[in-house]
Amino acid sequence: MQQGNLTALSITIFIILTVVLIGFLAGRDKATRSSVEEWSVGGRRFGGLLVWFLVGADLYTAYTFLGLTSTAYTAGSLAFFAIPYSVLAYFISYFFLPKLWKVANEHKLTTLADYARERFDSKLLSSLIAIVGVLMLIPYICLQLSGIQDTLQVAGTGFINVKVVVITSFLLVALYTFFSGIKGPTYTAIIKDVLVWAIMLFMVVSLPIMHFGGWNPMVDKIVTEAPHLLTIPDSGPKGVTWFITAAFVSSLALFMWAHAATGVFTAKSADAIRKNALFLPLYNIVLILVVFLGFIAFLVLPDGTDPRFALLALIQTSYGGIGQGLAYSTIALASLIPCSIMAIGASNLFANNIYRDLINPKVKGPKLTMITRGMVFVVIGLALLFGLVFPQALVSLQLLGVSGMVQIFPAIVISLFWRSQSREATIIGLIVGLVVTFTVYSTGTSLGIYEGFWGLMANFITVVGLNPFFVKKAKHSSNAVKKYLFDQSSKEEQLVRKGA
Amino acid sequence: MKKLLLIVLISAPFIAQLVVLPFVNRIDPIIFGLPFLQFWLFLWIVLTPFCTLGIYQLQKSEGSLD
Repeated sequence: MQQGNLTALSITIFIILTVVLIGFLAGRDKATRSSVEEWSVGGRRFGGLLVWFLVGADLYTAYTFLGLTSTAYTAGSLAFFAIPYSVLAYFISYFFLPKLWKVANEHKLTTLADYARERFDSKLLSSLIAIVGVLMLIPYICLQLSGIQDTLQVAGTGFINVKVVVITSFLLVALYTFFSGIKGPTYTAIIKDVLVWAIMLFMVVSLPIMHFGGWNPMVDKIVTEAPHLLTIPDSGPKGVTWFITAAFVSSLALFMWAHAATGVFTAKSADAIRKNALFLPLYNIVLILVVFLGFIAFLVLPDGTDPRFALLALIQTSYGGIGQGLAYSTIALASLIPCSIMAIGASNLFANNIYRDLINPKVKGPKLTMITRGMVFVVIGLALLFGLVFPQALVSLQLLGVSGMVQIFPAIVISLFWRSQSREATIIGLIVGLVVTFTVYSTGTSLGIYEGFWGLMANFITVVGLNPFFVKKAKHSSNAVKKYLFDQSSKEEQLVRKGA
Repeated sequence: MKKLLLIVLISAPFIAQLVVLPFVNRIDPIIFGLPFLQFWLFLWIVLTPFCTLGIYQLQKSEGSLD
């Protein structure tokens, strides 16, 4: 690895430390850690704009910038699957998140697994969902880890011991998350989002001018020299069918992630969530531009550049010094802040739905709060361990995570609308979905279709096929959540009909 | 009538961003400096919020939001 850049490195480290300090200051008030609800979802008091920043911070991570540019660099327009994926994810969320939020608010739930437990009266289901959630989230936190690691490695080679700095910065994040809870990442998320927009727009305007004399000459150059980058392949293991199924399944999966759910539950009203569903797609304008940065890297960088470092190398060759420092700190923050929210989501699942639901049902109050907060160190520690011992390729890991995560969709979303969905069918469906996904993945028999799509199909068919066998019990049993979801809304509908 | 509009608004983002992809998977024509596929995806980043807004307004006028 060539020598880094000292100016860039100093700026990056300075900005990281400033943000960590703000993360600590956000938790000065003791109330931020007084209960699980305060610590993990900020007492559900966040308005529309704050939720926008938080969910934006959550979902646009270092992976977004490094993974997408390296996919664009190697596989061209396949990288664009992220656009319909996230646009549709917000669109779909409009139809179920407000409802889910209302149930969670009414029954003081802080995780999706909590909801499943109350909806189906099943601790087995809630702990299964929690195990899937934590298992899939830890590799995702590892992705964030390799994001900051790569950044420091390019900027800091020859100056610092990268591993030591990475471990230190993640321990600092764990500490401020433990201390401030969700308030920490929320305030720092605003800084990160502003930096992301400013830096990405700056790069998208300046890089084409620097290297090609403008945007249009750049597009002309891609069209003549590398047209294969601009369309999706028609066939092959990853062609247009893969693109469509990957985008669709990922869009269903997005809000099944523990960290996304945490972000959503901080909202103060269902309307704040509707407004977010409305405006979040606009965030993707940045995403399209980021993919073009990958194309620029393809034209500018010498052959044989490691795709993993495509964006980072492009920034170092083009700017150096201050520009590189600002861009690198943006990517570093995009790795640390989501990591904090993910750690909150995973700790919450761990403490509430694995420890309490499965091991020690009597735990509550201050003790449960302490266990939840302490889990942050376990989660981040595990991620560090896996990340440093088995450093993996960025994108494929995350992709398998999506395929696994989407399997809880019937348990969480379909159950909001289908009264007679039974516990037994849902649990078996979830397991079948997971087994099919991993079988297809490990045997490589996906036939050009996204793995998670096979799993989800198997899952749906199982739930629908088996439900009639258990429907009798499901129909006659009722509980607070079912009553809230179905009895009340049917009353309201009657009222509306009468009124109309 | 309202119901039809609702169905159109709900299905449009899916059709435009998933179903028709094989047909818009092309470079020409280049519009606003974007090759056609990229232009199309960009267009729907902007149009999808309008679909959501339309659905929101429809539901509001029916009083089915609370």
